[in-house]
Amino acid sequence: MKKVIEGSHGVSEAVRLANVKVMSAYPITPQTHIVEALSEYCEEGLMDAKFINVESEHSAMAAVIGASSGGVRTFTATSSHGLALMHELLHWASGARLPIVMAEVNRALGPGWNIWMDQTDSLAQRDTGWIQLYCEDGQEVLDTTLMAFRLAETVNLPVMVVLDAFFLSHTFEVIDVPDQETVNEFLPEFKPSVCLDQDNPFAMGQMAPPPFYMEMRHNIQQAMMSVHDAYEKIEDEFDNIFGNRYGKLDAMLCEDADVVLVMAGTAASTARTVVSALRKKGVKAGLVKIRMFRPFPVAEMREALKNARMVAVVDRNCSFGVGGIFAQEIRAALSGTESRQKVAGFITGLGGRDVTPEILEEIYEAAQKMEDAPDEAIWVGLNN
Amino acid sequence: MEIMVSRSSITTTGNNTGAWRFVRPVYERHTAPCSAACPAGEDIPRIEALVSEKKFKEAGEVILMENPFPSVCGRVCFHPCETACNRAGFDDAVAVNSLERFVGDLLDTSDGSLPFEAKEKNGKRIAIIGAGPGGLSAAYFLSRLGYSCEVFESEEKPGGLLRWGIPAYRLPEQVLDREIKRIESLGVKINCSTRLDSSFIETANESFDGVFVGTGLGSPIMMNIPGEELGIGWEVFLKEVKKGTQKEFKGKAVVIGGGNAAVDVARTLVRLGASVTIAYRRRIEDMPAFGSEIEIAISEGVEILELVAPVAIVQNAEQLSIELQSMKVEGQDGQRAKVVNDGDKKKSIVADRVYSAIGADVEDEWKGAKTVSRPGNRSALYNEKIPVIYGGDLVNADKSVTSAIGSGKEAAIMFDILLAEGGSKAGDEEAVKKTTAACQVGDGQSLSFEAYIGGERRNVVEGVVKFEDINLNYFEKTALKDKNSMKADLNGFDEVESGIDEVSAIYEAVRCFNCGICTDCGICSLFCPELSVLTGNEGRRIELEYCKGCGICVCECPRAAMSLVKEAE
Repeated sequence: MKKVIEGSHGVSEAVRLANVKVMSAYPITPQTHIVEALSEYCEEGLMDAKFINVESEHSAMAAVIGASSGGVRTFTATSSHGLALMHELLHWASGARLPIVMAEVNRALGPGWNIWMDQTDSLAQRDTGWIQLYCEDGQEVLDTTLMAFRLAETVNLPVMVVLDAFFLSHTFEVIDVPDQETVNEFLPEFKPSVCLDQDNPFAMGQMAPPPFYMEMRHNIQQAMMSVHDAYEKIEDEFDNIFGNRYGKLDAMLCEDADVVLVMAGTAASTARTVVSALRKKGVKAGLVKIRMFRPFPVAEMREALKNARMVAVVDRNCSFGVGGIFAQEIRAALSGTESRQKVAGFITGLGGRDVTPEILEEIYEAAQKMEDAPDEAIWVGLNN
Repeated sequence: MEIMVSRSSITTTGNNTGAWRFVRPVYERHTAPCSAACPAGEDIPRIEALVSEKKFKEAGEVILMENPFPSVCGRVCFHPCETACNRAGFDDAVAVNSLERFVGDLLDTSDGSLPFEAKEKNGKRIAIIGAGPGGLSAAYFLSRLGYSCEVFESEEKPGGLLRWGIPAYRLPEQVLDREIKRIESLGVKINCSTRLDSSFIETANESFDGVFVGTGLGSPIMMNIPGEELGIGWEVFLKEVKKGTQKEFKGKAVVIGGGNAAVDVARTLVRLGASVTIAYRRRIEDMPAFGSEIEIAISEGVEILELVAPVAIVQNAEQLSIELQSMKVEGQDGQRAKVVNDGDKKKSIVADRVYSAIGADVEDEWKGAKTVSRPGNRSALYNEKIPVIYGGDLVNADKSVTSAIGSGKEAAIMFDILLAEGGSKAGDEEAVKKTTAACQVGDGQSLSFEAYIGGERRNVVEGVVKFEDINLNYFEKTALKDKNSMKADLNGFDEVESGIDEVSAIYEAVRCFNCGICTDCGICSLFCPELSVLTGNEGRRIELEYCKGCGICVCECPRAAMSLVKEAE
């Protein structure tokens, strides 16, 4: 049924339909609406689930790790400082191979205090062994959350569904909310591969000395690499049932593009209009929207960018001392190819600053004029 | 794909973490400040815990363990428990007094069923002089210890001050009768209209093994002013009203005094139809009467004239003229203001009647009794062979109903120690001190009968639970909902305060922190990282094989019912 709801509630609806059994969260703007709705669903009996109130995000993640170890479908949500506080347990969740799903609303880290859109919080967690999926609009948020449970439970790794603060979390859009029966068809009851067993008691997360630890890490890497196939199969199934698919990335007009803009999140929507307008003027613009960040879709990225003269990556984040994080990843992905496209990094839209069509046009023009990509990222839209 | 996780099926029960321990948690009963403040030494946190569980009968039985007069005390006690209540530091004190009345009034023992078995009669007989709260309590506790008690009362009905001194609008007679009947059901014989004088003691050993003297203060304090004989004594007046010989008085009355007796007389006069002025030599805030009583009196129309001392009463035709010396405050006299004559400023007021209510004193007959204020300090005077113990207002520093009840209980325990088989007079003083110290409720004035007869309260550890000992994280601020509330009716002697209902009682009891007692809330077991808190038929206990002495349970205990003790070296 189509409803006009905000992006946050796209997540909440998906979690309700996924029949999650245990949720735990600590409120933080701009994530709060997600769990607020879920706690109400529990209270009203719309969900047969336990919502555990805790005193911090560290505890929230610990609580869902515990519940997931007990063999039930779990969910949590956070943002910014909350995610940073979870850091230790993010490693635990993946190391223990628990299929936890978390919504992460991209928000800047302080100081200075800033509650607005910024990607550094989630990208800083790239090495924790979590699958990361970035969303562009409300429908994608709902669909991605449903797929996240299937994916997590297939490969036994946790999944982070990432959405932009306010631009997506708080924006009302028409979202088609599927009925329970259809969702059940796609997402059957959770059958845990690893969980505690009262009849056959054992302790999880025991000591793994040098002869074992490395094998366990290799096993996680293999599981992460298996996501590529698993994701494709799950998306095929999803498409069959719901008629939507998103890919690991979304390439638009890249075949003959001179410059390809690359970005993640809601800015991709703005970029679509900019690219279309440029095309109308005869400018050969292209666009790649990054959707899957971990595992990084190296093959798909190489394929999408293979004909580009210049790749302009728009990062709403910064790894100080290097530059934009998406730009680094793309450079790394392309370094193994013969053509080795040039990658220019642009940093803009931090801390909630708007990424307007004008900003993207400016980036496009700058990239178009470049013969070589500069080593350092170019900051666009600075006030000083 | 195989999922590699580290796991171990080796049981950790082989890891006796208890060996790490150098301190151990123990469940300990601590005394709540309310109980320590209660002159009758009631186990208040236990009572409120039972009320909160809707176990009203059991709650009543816990009161009866220490106090035979719950319905009386629930009306007339000045409730020092509420002043001491730890909850007062959080939001409002628990309405302990209202709860006592609620529990007491529900307690039906009219079929003679009492919650305890009296000991077998030991053949010893105690004479009790005065059927006031002190004497009746002494008889109640002595009977439970196996003594045969005979009470001698000068008035035609038992109750003493409870019957004659406290007006019916505060304490209806049927409430008092019900509780006295319960005491009689233990086999106590009350001889009314039988006045004994002190010469009785000299020959008492012929028929008795001990004598309790609880005659109260029978001698009104005189003002020593000219015309004093024109006034009426408070005790005479209140008794006449109770007996029904005074039914109406529409004139103007002046009451001299500032204690509860003065306020009782004033409020009684209001009900007879009089317009009443209280004349007091200090300020209103210095009046010894309970603050709440003063407020009610004012609300009922009693006028209070402060800083005036009567110097003479003069007959003025049909009326009386009271000459008053104005006073002024000059410094402090203990809790009260010190007042001196304000030059020679005088005033006079005219009234139809003057009542003197400045207090009462020991009758000459019993002047030998000594004032006592702490347990164990009460000494027995011997008449050749048998112990004689004084109690109630006669000797108590604190002249209150509940203190009188406490002194009756203390006397009963003392008789039992002094008359024990093989007891010798020489060791008596020591034995009394030692035993009563073991039964003292916290650092308070009262003794616990339950502790004396070897009940659970015997195991209370020293000290009183302080506000800082309570783990406030487990409590939510809630406003005091309902106390005994006033309904003004000045046309008769119907009870003025109405009690609280069941819903309010439970709400109020739930507010109680239950300082120092385990209510089986389960927080300790919830937090124990070693799952070492065991529950079962024998109650809560710690599995010492695995308890590593982290102390989390003790920190988390909401109500200071646990302690950490050092392991023996």
